[in-house]
Amino acid sequence: MIAYFTNLASLGAIFCILAATLNVAVGYAGIFSVAHAVFFGLGAYAGAQVSLLLIPDALVAMVVAALVAGALSLCLALPALRVRGEYFVAASLGLQMMAVTLFSEAKTLTGGIGGLTGIPRPHILGVEVSTLPVALAALALILLATALLMRGSFGRTLQAIRDGESAAEALGKNVAAAKALAVAFACAGAGVAGALFAMHMQFVNVESFNLDQSVLIMAMVIIGGTGTLWGPLVGAVILLSLPAGLAFMPFIPSTEVGAVQQIIYGLAMTLLMVFRPAGLVGDLSRGKSHA
Amino acid sequence: MLLLQLLLQGLQVGALYALTAAGFALIFGATRIFHFAHGSAFTLAGYTFLFATQAGWPWYLGGLAGVVVATLFGLGIYWFVYRPIQRHEGSFFTVFVAAFGVGIVVQNLIGMFAGRGFASVDTPLSRAVEVLPDVYLAEVFWVAIGLSLLLFLLLTLFLTRHNAGVALRALHQNPDLLRAYGLSSTKLSLLAFAVGSALAAPAAILTAMTSGLNEAIGHQVMLISMAATIVGGVGSLRGAALAGLMLGVAEAVALSFVDTQWAEAVSFLVLFAFIIFRPSGIFGITQAR
Repeated sequence: MIAYFTNLASLGAIFCILAATLNVAVGYAGIFSVAHAVFFGLGAYAGAQVSLLLIPDALVAMVVAALVAGALSLCLALPALRVRGEYFVAASLGLQMMAVTLFSEAKTLTGGIGGLTGIPRPHILGVEVSTLPVALAALALILLATALLMRGSFGRTLQAIRDGESAAEALGKNVAAAKALAVAFACAGAGVAGALFAMHMQFVNVESFNLDQSVLIMAMVIIGGTGTLWGPLVGAVILLSLPAGLAFMPFIPSTEVGAVQQIIYGLAMTLLMVFRPAGLVGDLSRGKSHA
Repeated sequence: MLLLQLLLQGLQVGALYALTAAGFALIFGATRIFHFAHGSAFTLAGYTFLFATQAGWPWYLGGLAGVVVATLFGLGIYWFVYRPIQRHEGSFFTVFVAAFGVGIVVQNLIGMFAGRGFASVDTPLSRAVEVLPDVYLAEVFWVAIGLSLLLFLLLTLFLTRHNAGVALRALHQNPDLLRAYGLSSTKLSLLAFAVGSALAAPAAILTAMTSGLNEAIGHQVMLISMAATIVGGVGSLRGAALAGLMLGVAEAVALSFVDTQWAEAVSFLVLFAFIIFRPSGIFGITQAR
């Protein structure tokens, strides 16, 4: 039982990192990416390869994963600088679909559909550690960085860009640099989560990095509340406990649990957008009309 | 000869893409709603047709049922989801998430009730015959091309000659002025959703006859429609239809150079390139967004 909860908590921490970092792009910078799972995947593959080929050190894997995901975030920053709104969503969807094909075809790097197996458990300075404390520490660091950054001038610039890009530009803010940095921060965070995920599961394949996963992460942010520090974490915990909770409901046939769970979360997304668009944690006056 | 075969196949798929994309473009152009659940109208129509045929209904009744279900779905989603969100001035992303939620619900409901995996309707139309040496064509090819051309003709006539069609184009250009003339933008939006969703039905039915349906096909259809709308240029039905056709052909022809699994990626590469280099699309008016 304890192992079960430790596992659940580790995954929870990893998804909290994902939701919190996506929130930096979506909630603060107004960059509505539906390709977050791509960078999660890049981090996972990078971290897995480092562990498999070099040393199974969690810190090294996380740093490499963050660098890889952060560098490739340029693929997302490029359209973010060109277009806004629906167009950017479309571009990120395109990126997501291409990445899934790449992940399943670049067999030497990713193991294709079969994925990478036998990833060693995380070590720190040669001592084997459990994923949970490492993940929690990473989450705490990322939250701290987010809180500090968003309170400072960088965060205010981002929010200004979100609420009025032309106005921010007129005030002399470097819009391109701020957007690119926000995307890089979000994607690097997703990379860290990916490395942790790879070492925790000891196995990764493309299934964890598809569009559904991106939408799940996005739903966590939206349901919790965009642009708030705690909202994404609330969303992540709710959506992750949903399958665990449904498993205890006797009247749902076990083959349909997955479908029922999907229906519930689809419905939750729709109803929440209709009745409470600012999310559970967000306050009602905000989040109404900034696009 | 292989190239010709692929080209013809691409044309058939492209014609169906063009129809769904035109529906999506019509809705987006008139109402400014990025209707991400458009694929669900397609799936619902396709499965209605499938069930109707399996229940022994003649094909025209099944087809009609498909069109009716798609139209009702379009009207329903506008009335119960998009209209309330627009009333409190929800941002486009609110609309996107809500629509995505609907798409997930529909996909899983169909998966639960119709079973998962591919299902198709076998008709005499879908049997291929050799028309040229090594080139096989089913009659459904001519049906797909003919039906698309006919529907486009009707749609163009409707949008240019009929009062309601002209009003729809006016809604796209200036909703405030439209209201000032005493026209109801809600009624016109409903019309756009009805017509746009109905356009997905013939494509869905023909897909059910040819390559078959699965519960997740709505996803793919939605992505293709969206890609075609953007590549074609928002607000241009002609552009969306042409781009849909082009994407279908590009996917098929790409098969002669790369493996099957890359076909979908080709579409998105085209979309990605357009968004970065020419966001206004082929026929779009150049405007910064």
